[in-house]
Amino acid sequence: MFTRREVGSLILGAGALSMVGNLPKANAAERPSLNIAVDNLWANMATINGISTTSRRIFPNFYDNLVDRDYIKDENGLIFAPKLATKWEQNGTVWKFTLREGVKFHDGTEMTAEDAVFTLSPERLWGAKPFEPRGKTFTAGFKRVEATGKYTFEIETERPDPNIPSKLTGYIGFVVPKKYYMEVGVDAFGQKPIGTGPYKVTTFRSGEIMVLEAFDDYWDGPPPVKQISWKIVPEFAARMAGLVSKEFDFIVNIPTDQEAALEKYQGVTLKRVLADNYPALAFNTRPDPVDNPLVDPNLRYAMVQAIDMNAIVQALFNGTTEHPAVPFNFTEYGKFYDPKAPVKLPYDVAAAKALVAKTKYKGEKLIWHITRQYYPNYEAAAEIMVEQWREVGINVEAQILDNFELVYRRPYHLMNMSMSSDFIPGDPYQPLWLDWGPTASRSTATWKTWDPTPEYLAAGKKFDEAIEFEDRKKAYLELSDAWQKVTPGYYMWKSVYNCAHRAGIQFKFKPNGEMRIYGDYFKFV
Amino acid sequence: MTRFWLLKILRTVLTLWFVVTFAFVVLRTSGDPVVALVGGDATPEEVEQFRQLWRLDDPLWIQYFRYVIQMATGQFGISYRDGREVIDIITERVPWTLILGLFSYIGAILIGVPAGIFAAIKRGSTFDNLIMATAVFGFALPNFFLGILMILLFSLSLQWLPSSGTGTVWHLIMPAITLATFTAGTLARFTRSAMLEVLDKLYIRAAAAKGVGYWKRIVFHALPNASIPLVTIIGLNLGELIGGAIVVETVFAWPGVGRLLVTAVSSRDLAVVQGLVLVMAVTMVLANLVVDLLYGLLDPRIRVQN
Repeated sequence: MFTRREVGSLILGAGALSMVGNLPKANAAERPSLNIAVDNLWANMATINGISTTSRRIFPNFYDNLVDRDYIKDENGLIFAPKLATKWEQNGTVWKFTLREGVKFHDGTEMTAEDAVFTLSPERLWGAKPFEPRGKTFTAGFKRVEATGKYTFEIETERPDPNIPSKLTGYIGFVVPKKYYMEVGVDAFGQKPIGTGPYKVTTFRSGEIMVLEAFDDYWDGPPPVKQISWKIVPEFAARMAGLVSKEFDFIVNIPTDQEAALEKYQGVTLKRVLADNYPALAFNTRPDPVDNPLVDPNLRYAMVQAIDMNAIVQALFNGTTEHPAVPFNFTEYGKFYDPKAPVKLPYDVAAAKALVAKTKYKGEKLIWHITRQYYPNYEAAAEIMVEQWREVGINVEAQILDNFELVYRRPYHLMNMSMSSDFIPGDPYQPLWLDWGPTASRSTATWKTWDPTPEYLAAGKKFDEAIEFEDRKKAYLELSDAWQKVTPGYYMWKSVYNCAHRAGIQFKFKPNGEMRIYGDYFKFV
Repeated sequence: MTRFWLLKILRTVLTLWFVVTFAFVVLRTSGDPVVALVGGDATPEEVEQFRQLWRLDDPLWIQYFRYVIQMATGQFGISYRDGREVIDIITERVPWTLILGLFSYIGAILIGVPAGIFAAIKRGSTFDNLIMATAVFGFALPNFFLGILMILLFSLSLQWLPSSGTGTVWHLIMPAITLATFTAGTLARFTRSAMLEVLDKLYIRAAAAKGVGYWKRIVFHALPNASIPLVTIIGLNLGELIGGAIVVETVFAWPGVGRLLVTAVSSRDLAVVQGLVLVMAVTMVLANLVVDLLYGLLDPRIRVQN
């Protein structure tokens, strides 16, 4: 979240940075290639239909955002930098963007405002039947997107929205070529994507490999690597062996309990980054099943107070991550974050027992649906939590299921989930309102776990409409209070992304999991 | 003879119909593929849009008839996961599984059958015990475990062989050995039993009494008579190889149909799973047909009966 003054300074910064874009790069002919072993590749690489952790890792290598987050200058990425847009300014409900000139797509066509407008258009994202339906989630309040010149366009929203540039740092900000997209259709585009990024996709065999080749017409100069092969190697032992034996230059997704073993090998550098994502559990607060004891908030409070999550996180992650004691009070939210925020439901076994005594709960079995091996260490944490709940007289059975479709099948009392926090950098909009609000799947799907209370909805409306930081923070605290009063969920820890690379590489891992093989994020040393 | 072949064909068609229907019923009743594919955060509106897009909102019987007609006419449809033709996805993976399967299969036969023959000839000797112990070890060792052990030894520690993927003949060695070990072990045990049974027969003794040489008796008299149960086992083991390929291809990141099946099942890509099930069923049915034909070739009595 930024004040108007800060937005103004960002615009100036954007202009200055855009002038130093085309610096000379290393000799293209001498560039080495990279082999990266990944655990998975999403089947579709369209910018929205392809949303997943595994595609986010790769996207910025072949797509460019309109606006960028600078993680080099700020660990939390709260400084914006120009990318395809060089300038932006707000006037009431209208945002005006100026595009970088001379930017080419991988098919050689020039990127213009027509492409940017199509990228954000109702027919692609937020109309009645858009090509990429999930785009609606990220374009709430959009009213008009229109080109005003070859390199300028406007976005009009229903209410003044100070966060439009922030939103364009995410998935919806990746610009796609209108002509090619319309020619091949969204499914084929997802298989042979074209962007303006430093590498172009030359091979994509879903479930097997993606090959990117240097795009030497990139607006910021030729990238440092000739070819990058992202190969799926599902088995960790094979990924590790491949890195140690120098078949691979990078591997990703190292099990926490294998990190120490991997670090012992010479020439291997392990990188960890705290992600903008939190594994969590949702309490089923609704009378479905009819005898659901969790409709009583005291039982939910007791379950939260019975968990010693700091000890669990220490045991499972060896201090590499942290448990957010107060929901939504996340460090990445800058000025929203309050290190002294009161913990309303601290770990306290006696208090948990007293709360259980207040309820009509008599030890009935509560079913916890968990997706098998989806979140690292989740099952291990669940085992400990089940025992901690047993200590205060709460009987929980963790059921490990093969996929989310099974997890969503009733009856259940608790279910696993995770929440990202980076849709609007520095602002708790996504986890607090987008993910729990009246349009969220958690409150609308057949498997919904709660019904937002009038108090929560009223606070949410204020929060959604607040523009100035002070108003927004006040509304945020009110909204967070309303959520905590119900406690429909419990945030466990901040996710950790990891990867390892061979010697001779300098790499900066981004908290949203992006692996940028260019710019200040990647260098051969 | 015509009646024999007509019955065979009818049985084959019925088997394939049963497999196709079974796959349809199991996949449709075991969960909603749309939810599995679009992910947990999708709103009901988005789920519904995808359901319409993939025509999963039609009544089940319409979906079934559409599916049976598609299968019968060789149109496997479009993958829900990536929007590509299923037939293209499968055909680009089949050669990899064929390469791996053939190397493993031939390797297993070349090792397992001679080992069983020698164990039978040297019955009760240390050599026999050693071969049988190795054979039991081979088929008792889970192939995912053997695969990981080989990666840790030959790729991580010794760095002799590539850990995964394809590209050179060296990439084939570890997955082929892993896949062949089980089949070779099984074949060695069955060959030994079949040979022992035949070696005790009167006609072998009669051949010896007539002065037929030792190796001639083994190769021309004993082995053809022991080959009927062996052919059955070799045919059945094709199924084991396909099952084994699912694990081995995953461990070694080998881009064959086994790995494709794992991915398709876990993401509930119905069209791909259905296509693969049909391809595998056809393979098994054809293998059984070949075994039936071989019986006739190997044993004149079966030919005459037919």
